[in-house]
Amino acid sequence: MAAAAAAPVASQAQAVLRKRLCDPAFVHSPLKSSPDTNYSKLKYLVASSVSEACNNSVLLLGPRGCGKGAVLDMVLEDLKKEHPDAISVIRLNGMLHSDDNCAMKDIARQLCLQHELSFSKMASSDDNTEFMIDMLRECGLAHKTVIFILEEFDLFAQGKQRLLYSLLDAMQSLTSQAVVIGMSCRLDADQLLEKRVRSRFSHRKLLFIPSSLDDIQSLTEHLLMLDQASVLPTNYVTEYNSRLTSIFNHKKFKGILNSLTDADATTSNILRFLFRVVSYMDKESGLLSIDCFTNALSCMQRQPKMDSLQDLSILELYVLVCMNRLEDKEQNSYNFNTIMKEYKSIQDAYKTSDKYATTVCFRAFEHLLDRELITFADTKGRNIALEYRPVKLLISSRELAESLKLNTTCPTVLQKLLDRERYM
Amino acid sequence: MDLSATPTRSKSKPRSTPSKTIAASAAAQMDLSTPSKPTTRRKSKSVSSPPSIAPATPSTVRRSRRLLETPTRRLLETPTKDLVETPAKPAPAPTLKRKRAAPSPKTPIQAEPKRQRRLPKKKAHYRKVVYDGGEFAAGDDVYVKRREGAESDEEEPEEEECRVCFHAGGEVMVECDACLGGFHLRCVRPPLRRVPEGDWACPYCEAERAGRAIERPKQPVGKSIRRTAKEKLLSSDLWAARIESLWREPDGTFWAKVRWYTIPEETAAGRQPHNLRRELYRTNDLADIEMETILRHCYVMSPKEFRDASNEGDDVFYCEYEYDVHWHNFKRLADIDDEPETQEDPSDEPYNAGNDYNSDTDEDSEFEEEDGPAKRCSARKNQSHQFAANSRKGRIYGLQKIGIRKIPEHVRCHQKTDLEKAKATLLLATLPKSLPCRDKEMEEISTFVKDAICNDQCLGRCLYIHGVPGTGKTMSVLAVMRRLRSELDSGALRPYCFIEINGLKLASPENIYKVIYEQLSGHRVGWKKALHYLTEHFSDGTKIGKQTSQPIILLIDELDLLLTRNQSVLYNVLDWPTKPNSNLVVIGIANTMDLPEKLLPRISSRMGIQRLCFGPYNYRQLQEIITSRLKGIDAFEDQAIEFASRKVAAMSGDARRALEICRRAAEFADYRIKQFQQSGQAPSSANRGNGVVCMGDVEDAIQEVFQAPHIQVMKNCPKFGKIILAAMVHELYRSGLGEVLFDKLAATVLSWCHVNRELLPGYDTLLKICCKLGESKIVLCEEGTKHKFQKVQLNYPSDDVTFALKESPDLPWLSKYL
Repeated sequence: MAAAAAAPVASQAQAVLRKRLCDPAFVHSPLKSSPDTNYSKLKYLVASSVSEACNNSVLLLGPRGCGKGAVLDMVLEDLKKEHPDAISVIRLNGMLHSDDNCAMKDIARQLCLQHELSFSKMASSDDNTEFMIDMLRECGLAHKTVIFILEEFDLFAQGKQRLLYSLLDAMQSLTSQAVVIGMSCRLDADQLLEKRVRSRFSHRKLLFIPSSLDDIQSLTEHLLMLDQASVLPTNYVTEYNSRLTSIFNHKKFKGILNSLTDADATTSNILRFLFRVVSYMDKESGLLSIDCFTNALSCMQRQPKMDSLQDLSILELYVLVCMNRLEDKEQNSYNFNTIMKEYKSIQDAYKTSDKYATTVCFRAFEHLLDRELITFADTKGRNIALEYRPVKLLISSRELAESLKLNTTCPTVLQKLLDRERYM
Repeated sequence: MDLSATPTRSKSKPRSTPSKTIAASAAAQMDLSTPSKPTTRRKSKSVSSPPSIAPATPSTVRRSRRLLETPTRRLLETPTKDLVETPAKPAPAPTLKRKRAAPSPKTPIQAEPKRQRRLPKKKAHYRKVVYDGGEFAAGDDVYVKRREGAESDEEEPEEEECRVCFHAGGEVMVECDACLGGFHLRCVRPPLRRVPEGDWACPYCEAERAGRAIERPKQPVGKSIRRTAKEKLLSSDLWAARIESLWREPDGTFWAKVRWYTIPEETAAGRQPHNLRRELYRTNDLADIEMETILRHCYVMSPKEFRDASNEGDDVFYCEYEYDVHWHNFKRLADIDDEPETQEDPSDEPYNAGNDYNSDTDEDSEFEEEDGPAKRCSARKNQSHQFAANSRKGRIYGLQKIGIRKIPEHVRCHQKTDLEKAKATLLLATLPKSLPCRDKEMEEISTFVKDAICNDQCLGRCLYIHGVPGTGKTMSVLAVMRRLRSELDSGALRPYCFIEINGLKLASPENIYKVIYEQLSGHRVGWKKALHYLTEHFSDGTKIGKQTSQPIILLIDELDLLLTRNQSVLYNVLDWPTKPNSNLVVIGIANTMDLPEKLLPRISSRMGIQRLCFGPYNYRQLQEIITSRLKGIDAFEDQAIEFASRKVAAMSGDARRALEICRRAAEFADYRIKQFQQSGQAPSSANRGNGVVCMGDVEDAIQEVFQAPHIQVMKNCPKFGKIILAAMVHELYRSGLGEVLFDKLAATVLSWCHVNRELLPGYDTLLKICCKLGESKIVLCEEGTKHKFQKVQLNYPSDDVTFALKESPDLPWLSKYL
């Protein structure tokens, strides 16, 4: 009976936790309290340009998944609350608007949309530029701030950079109120700018870096601990929290976090990990255990190539081993026929039961090509028949050896073949 | 009730044009008085205000009477005029049109040619009119009185009475900033010796503010207080307006087109708490009035003038915003001194544009015009459908919608600290009063231009200006042109025409013809046609538009952007000045010193030898630029400015960079101080917190600008990322080649991990990390589909990597490989 009652609680708790994990505002809310975070710096920067009527341009730099966009969204959300109709946001993405004319058009479209003006698709790019400058002036007179957000900023810095020039030049020559915020994961994004554009850019940079281990631990606690005021039953929440605290103090937990952050310590990676953890929650009791974390970690650390090596057939493994032997013999260029020769010689030497016809081997070969474990050595010669095109291995011999070791159905002779030539 | 009254009135004479405009203006004025908020506010105020003002009847009622009666008066007036002289009937309307159509009154108007031809003879426009003893000129601000009612006709007291002793004159009076009442210095308790500095509130207002009840002195019985014009205006018994133009009607009466001012109570937002007592809004509502109704001058000033005005009398008002009577929103007044052309800009009178358009279309639109404002809004919406705001034709439609419903409080109530003032003056957009350090160059430019245009034959000339970005090239040329413009206005120079083009703002180099032609003639044609016309104009002297033989000064910024493959655009542009009667002067600006050498010889020979170099600023000049901007603001330590300017001078000599660094430093200081204020603790060290920008802030700002962030990112890489970077440095030293195959790299990493008892990462994990590093361009790498054949290369010097990774706490063993 207790279990029956717990089950809906478990799914409820899961829902609560998942909701939190998917809400960037909640994830980054601890940033709001401290003055040294990027959140408060960016907020000060944008808010002061709103309230003091000045122009600014700032770059947010950092690897992907460090929360550049999320922090910016939070800042904009807050500012929209503080200054209800004094802000209009124009969003551009370098992937979509790398062409200057189309970017200009989209700026005009978004400006029209936000100020309830009608927009013409037919207007030329000169018209759109003039319109933008007029709008910037009018908005400046009306104490309205226009915030341009340029995602993938580095892609705007290609070509003549007309868009950036006209934006930044308008900002230095008009009494407008505009903020240009560029986001990029390229650290040298400002070096890409042409010198006259760079001179107009105001070179504010905020660097987003992956968080340290302590921060990650506190973030995990912030995300997973349930608070008493929620809809969930109180005794469940207390039990859940006490279990979680004991997990956090567990020695193994530290190890799990360590091995997770060794590879990737960005916030988005942590969130993905925690989402898996929540999914492994025990449905009966609705509690998390250390096993949830270990399972989630192994999920995160999957090696796709090893996995696909695991489910190859014996014949395909033979083909790979043959290719590996050929490469070890320093034969630089080989094709299917060379492989078949090697295969035949092995079969003759060892008299295994895995002797197949050439057509069957060719099917295995094609399959390997499809799985991209091997590939053609060059892109030319498309009209040559498949068996004569030179190929190469895409996996390293170490990976191959490891997968053979793990594969239980693999005949010992194969491992020997690989080992033999290694120690020969 | 007002709303219902107007349409019926106008329907009685629906087709006559003058009634239409009057009704429209009446409706527009009614907009001001219809909102209910102002009424209640004003009533509550009349209770709080001294009882002496109470005898005045509630002003809204009177105002609305005025609104109703003015049209009647005019309606009666117009028919009589009709009898006298029929053609003069539509007089007000054509002037409206004419103003829109073209600035010169002689231009014929499309709609009614017959009448127009006769009208200009009968109607005389004036710049200045002496009327009733006062001299009125266009651009003056005046009080306008209501026509009927006896009291407004009575003599206005020029001097205000003291609120305590109720006698006027005699001594120096001081004005309370809260109730605007005047007080003799000796009547105030305790008496004042001098006029106090800054804001001063009378004891009564201060007591009220503090919540104490205090009796204001009652006026002597039998003597009603005489209200000054200012008080009447502020209680909306008078109107203020700005004269836009003056003319005499054929029947000899003097008329003026005026732009109304409005008091805060009559706007849709009502009086806002931060409104000043003497604040007025300029509206975009124009009307034609008779000169008789003009009372006398008043002075409406911009914030700056208002601040500087000390003893200008009682009729001084403050005006910072424009109020759109149709959209009920506010906009800051554009700085007219800075850009005089905005006056001619059609967007400046946006509503009139729509008004005109309406009256030109057909009869039906007249009805829409006369209906309530709501209906008019919808009508305008339909109309603007055809005119998309971003297309050329429709640009002026819709922009008037941009504005704010209420003036944001944070703008008005905010007292700027020194640091904030410093930030504002350091903005690139703020135009400095003087341009230091470029006197020689400016002198050269101005002699060049003057030489070119003062000679009667006006030889075509060409000047090439070059210099690195941020050395004031464009700014100097523009400053020279401004100076010349003022000389032109004073009549010391021949008229000329100045065209400014930026090469980087043109969609394609060929568009330059289009832009030039459009600026000369006002027409828009394709670039090929424009080129044809321009060539004709410059070589054969064919006239374009109304421009006759004025010299043309063509400023081309970013000249190098006009380079096409066969350089034909530059050739054409530079060829024109060499034509005998071209009257063209070209000033080209670009960054590269050797642009003429890079061009084809036939172009560089046409460019001439006249060049002007703007060298990078040295640190003294930068320091002078910054200090001249910061004059009077005590926000920077002297060493801090010197440090910043030395640093920038050593790097680039870019003035923009220096200003931005100082502004950033001010931002840092401001941020620090605000954080301290928030946390409530006193600044910790005397050096870092006394409210000025110190060396540390400048240092931080310079760090941010000049230091690449890669070392920080490398320091914060995940562990395996660090190992990969170290392995790359290792491989680089071992092989001497920049590129390394991923296969080899992975083998090194795995062997290191094995030796140093780290967890062995998977191949795919390493590949992923490699790709991530490649994304932030710490390393350059090929795409990940190449798997083990992926080539990887460091993007930063290996010393940086070594420096960043040498002492990483989580990988102590790494340093032995570096």
